[in-house]
Amino acid sequence: MNKPFAITLNVGSSLANKTGSWRSFRPAYVNRLPPCNNACPAGEDTQGWLFHAESGDYEAAWRHLTEANPMPAVMGRVCYHPCEGACNRGQLDSAVGINSVERFLGDEAIKQGWKFAAPAAETGKRILVVGAGPSGLSAAYQLRRMGHQVVIFEAGPLAGGMMRFGIPKYRLPREVLDAEVQRILDMGVEMRLNTKVEDLLKTMKEEKFDAAFLAVGAHIAKRTAIPAAESAKILDAVSVLRSMEGEDKPMLGRRVVVYGGGNTAIDVARTAKRLGAEEAIIVYRRTRDKMPAHDFEVEEALQEGVMMRWLSTIKQVGEGAIQVEKMELDENGKPVPTGEFDTLEADSVILALGQDVDLGLLNGVPDLSFEDGVVKVGENMMTGYPGIFAGGDMVPSDRTVTVGVGHGKLAARHINAWLAGTTYVKPPKKELATFEKLNTWYYTDADKTVRPMLDIIRRQSTFDEVQGGLNEDNALFEARRCLSCGNCFECDNCYGVCPDNAVIKLGPGKKFEFNYDYCKGCGVCVEECPCGAIKMEAEAS
Amino acid sequence: MLKQCEGSHAVAEAVALSRPEVICAYPISPQTHIVEGLGEMVKAGEIKDCEYINVESEFAAMSVAIGSSAAGARTYTATASQGLLFMVEAVYNASGLGLPIVMTVANRAIGAPINIWNDHSDSMSQRDCGWIQIFAETNQEAADLHIQAFKLAEELSLPVMVCMDGFILTHAYERVDIPTQEQVDKFLPPYSPRQILDPAAPVSIGAMVGPEAFSEVRYLAHAKQMQALELIPKISKEFEEIFGRNSGGLVRPYMLEDAETVVIALGSVLGTIKDTIDEMRADGISIGVLGINSFRPFPVSAIRRALSHAKRIVVLEKSLAVGIGGIVATDVRMALDGLDKRIYTVVAGLGGRNITRSSLHRVFRMAMHDQLEALHFLDLDWNIVNKEVDRERTTRRSGPIAENILRDLGQTKSNVG
Repeated sequence: MNKPFAITLNVGSSLANKTGSWRSFRPAYVNRLPPCNNACPAGEDTQGWLFHAESGDYEAAWRHLTEANPMPAVMGRVCYHPCEGACNRGQLDSAVGINSVERFLGDEAIKQGWKFAAPAAETGKRILVVGAGPSGLSAAYQLRRMGHQVVIFEAGPLAGGMMRFGIPKYRLPREVLDAEVQRILDMGVEMRLNTKVEDLLKTMKEEKFDAAFLAVGAHIAKRTAIPAAESAKILDAVSVLRSMEGEDKPMLGRRVVVYGGGNTAIDVARTAKRLGAEEAIIVYRRTRDKMPAHDFEVEEALQEGVMMRWLSTIKQVGEGAIQVEKMELDENGKPVPTGEFDTLEADSVILALGQDVDLGLLNGVPDLSFEDGVVKVGENMMTGYPGIFAGGDMVPSDRTVTVGVGHGKLAARHINAWLAGTTYVKPPKKELATFEKLNTWYYTDADKTVRPMLDIIRRQSTFDEVQGGLNEDNALFEARRCLSCGNCFECDNCYGVCPDNAVIKLGPGKKFEFNYDYCKGCGVCVEECPCGAIKMEAEAS
Repeated sequence: MLKQCEGSHAVAEAVALSRPEVICAYPISPQTHIVEGLGEMVKAGEIKDCEYINVESEFAAMSVAIGSSAAGARTYTATASQGLLFMVEAVYNASGLGLPIVMTVANRAIGAPINIWNDHSDSMSQRDCGWIQIFAETNQEAADLHIQAFKLAEELSLPVMVCMDGFILTHAYERVDIPTQEQVDKFLPPYSPRQILDPAAPVSIGAMVGPEAFSEVRYLAHAKQMQALELIPKISKEFEEIFGRNSGGLVRPYMLEDAETVVIALGSVLGTIKDTIDEMRADGISIGVLGINSFRPFPVSAIRRALSHAKRIVVLEKSLAVGIGGIVATDVRMALDGLDKRIYTVVAGLGGRNITRSSLHRVFRMAMHDQLEALHFLDLDWNIVNKEVDRERTTRRSGPIAENILRDLGQTKSNVG
């Protein structure tokens, strides 16, 4: 080419000047802990699987998710999603609908028939899991992935535990549960239904189990002494919900009173409404804000016509009516009786006062310790008896499906290590990616996608699922609302702002590295990183 | 095809017919209608293979133009007044790099005080920037000059500024003959850049050049402009052959033969001057006018030749070189170096002040009788000026001049307390 004189020149270079030598601080790419991951009782890498969902690779997202939790379709329905409570986006507009994306991925997996991979190698170890609830299933899945032989002993006629016999259908359709349980069994997990373990040590010895994970749950209803007439109909919530799964639906009458303030009380009151009760009244001794039940469930129950009687205790149950005493809160917020009484018409009273654990299988097992009716376990989820681990509702916990799944996973890791004669050490927690570490200016405004709710009339008369799911379009949108807190999502900002061209792009999915020969340590990349995935470190002097 | 249309629209159509590939502009009065019109045409798909790029400032507009032109795209932009000043650094770079960008300057005054009306201060401020500067007398010529400008720019590889009077031309509706696409295609070949960018053979354009080569680069830029002195009349002639009308060229003589007094001017005011001269000629006065079409390069020889018989010259210009007087007049003096002719400078029409035939009659007659001072400000209100001068002499805190004058005029605008 005939180049214009002195205007177009051969390419020169200033690469001989290694400006990196000027640096006193250096930037470094880091992975911080996103608050959603931090808050997840099941230990899901939420931000990690959302990252795949954002690019529409739902199978990769599902596979990433199920490393921690084998039942996303269940979890996407019943989890109380503490992740969303912790989500940094909540301080910007509203939290990412993590739970709804999880459900979408779970449903998509069922639709597409995605399966778990079989373990790479068999260890030859045999592990007993007692109880096919969330915790037992989670442990069985994790242990099977590690190559152990797993046998689940389930006392009930069907798998699922409280997911089947406690959570009503309108929150968790049974075909969803069945599909996710079956997928775990398809990995080669053996399940023995209607098989109650009466003597744990004997069973372990007879069947040559190397270790056991106990997750029998808590399904013995707590009772309270209330004077009652001979003909009074007093039921407990656990039995009522359990009988919903059988042929004979419970007969509750036209006016049903539920006693208690937890999620179970809400579930049973909403169930009663659907069974045709004209009145379903929850009697609770404190006020709404003191209720252990989640507020959105209280709200949904109210929408469906469930009535609430706050600050009341049941003093007496007669035939067709009950006597309640009004309470008031003292200066410490404790309910105290007022001596004022009232009468409510009631055909039946359902007690929802919490559940105890049936610890019968542990008879004869030495060195165990108990507290408040549950088994004490160490940080490694092992009971006082070596090789016997426990989790879920039968150990001290918040008693949610998510906590149960988390216990199962954690116990599986410890069992795996214990069997190998080693100890599982949790990797140290990374620094938390707090809101202050983000540059939210860079993110586009995007309102949360609200999941559709079933029509109120159907909610009052059928057991159809109340909350709908997202479709592919809005699930993708919702996933893309993720700010990727503390973890690089390859936005190219650092690459674009670096005044020294010292950010090297390694290609899609491979992120970046710094060329410290030329990085002057100005820190612009750190300042302008939207998600707080770079930090400055002092140079060693 | 004859059309009754706004000057801006005629220019937009002429630019569109020239098949631009990149248009990047930032709106500023009185240029806005041109790029608005082009934006609509691009959006409507009427201009094929053309990218309309919204930019955030005039500086960006010229920077984008530099990039796209260097990449080999036929590139157009437009600006005026403060906008032109804002892009100045890039304006110099465009010419220094020899990039054939075509830009309309819809001539407008420069603040302060801010003034959106017409004069030539903006483009005159860029007289040394290395761009070719041509002035349009009518809307027809404005349209025609843009088509010629692309050809001129690309043959020389130099940017061309087409200057047209803001509002007086841009916003005036008059009859314009818009050529056909076939005509324009016949006249203007596709752009073939002097150098093409090729990732396989990287080069550095416009990098540092030291004292060993800088003078030569500048001289070459000047030599290129000198080539334009030959090319401009040639292109004008080619244009006439295809389009059937005379447009452009270096200078435009009118009633010049035997004229003792010759007026020199640029742009739309030539119309008023010609009308005045017609009337004066009817009175038997020996007067003519020489329009300057090409201000840069300045056609020294053509002007010297055209004025060989003139006794005196009145340079009427819509700009003021503060501290000396005329800008055009200074260049004319240079063209007439060594010749014994009186040269008067008349500064007129600043900030949109009307130039009327009666005022022109008066100054031309004063010049004829050599009663005009060397530097004359047309229709200057001496009463106002003297008041302010007096005020400043007697009062230290005399306040802002523009507001004082408006108050003296009794035009108390809402924002003048």
